[in-house]
Amino acid sequence: MNDYKSRFGIRPCTWVYLILMLLTLVTYLVGKAGLSGLTIALLVLFLALVKGQLVGYFFMGLGRIRGLWHWPVFVWLFIPGALIGTAFYLSA
Amino acid sequence: MTAATHSEPLQQYQRHPPGDLAIWIFILAELLVFAVFFAAYAFTRMSNVELFNEFQLTLDREAAMYNTLALITSSYFVVRAVAAILEGNDRHCANWLWAAIGMGALFVLIKGSEYAHHFSEGINLSTNTFYMFYLSLTFFHFMHVIMGMVILAAVALKARRGGYSVDDHTGVETGASYWHMVDLVWLILFPLVYIMR
Repeated sequence: MNDYKSRFGIRPCTWVYLILMLLTLVTYLVGKAGLSGLTIALLVLFLALVKGQLVGYFFMGLGRIRGLWHWPVFVWLFIPGALIGTAFYLSA
Repeated sequence: MTAATHSEPLQQYQRHPPGDLAIWIFILAELLVFAVFFAAYAFTRMSNVELFNEFQLTLDREAAMYNTLALITSSYFVVRAVAAILEGNDRHCANWLWAAIGMGALFVLIKGSEYAHHFSEGINLSTNTFYMFYLSLTFFHFMHVIMGMVILAAVALKARRGGYSVDDHTGVETGASYWHMVDLVWLILFPLVYIMR
């Protein structure tokens, strides 16, 4: 992520970092609260996929890439995400 | 290309990912292996839901949360290291990389203590299907963390010696890409193994 330009004194990558930390805490609190079930599992999975996309797009710098190399992390998140979601759906 | 050029906005799109193309082939191969692992875990769980749910509760979620925060923080430090070298500041680049390695070491310590706890209770790969997946998945990832720390250390040492510059920083981006992959995998592994039930 080549965000050398600060915006409001804070680099964009710092905002992304804070969002990732927040989503991690939400995920942990869901587990700590003992919440379970298909809806909760899929919500937690969705949060993980969002975090993964943020890392791929901003930290790995794929958001600035045009063409095929823009997509590998998205595809990697989508396919296992769909398989995991399907498996949890079928076992619910 | 000058440092001034690098301070331009982000809208300069590229055709190739940052770092050496070879590392991206390696990253894709690694991601494929982890994807198969994740799918195998999820589909095996289908016929062992009660077992997986029961033994998932024996894991230390708090330690896993701290490990997630450690890896995300280390990834952020690596982003700052890449930004530093692109701004022509190799000393800051090295410092950020050492900070990232420090967070990686924290991950290794926490995960190591988890393993020590499990092993002291006699838990191993053959204890049950859940632990077989838990131990093999997390240990496979654990080895990647150690590998990533070695790569980052090599890059940090070279950066400290002034081996990278604004015009020649492919090595920094290559190491950074590998480390982000390690973080990326854990971001899925953490909820899948520790939280989702």
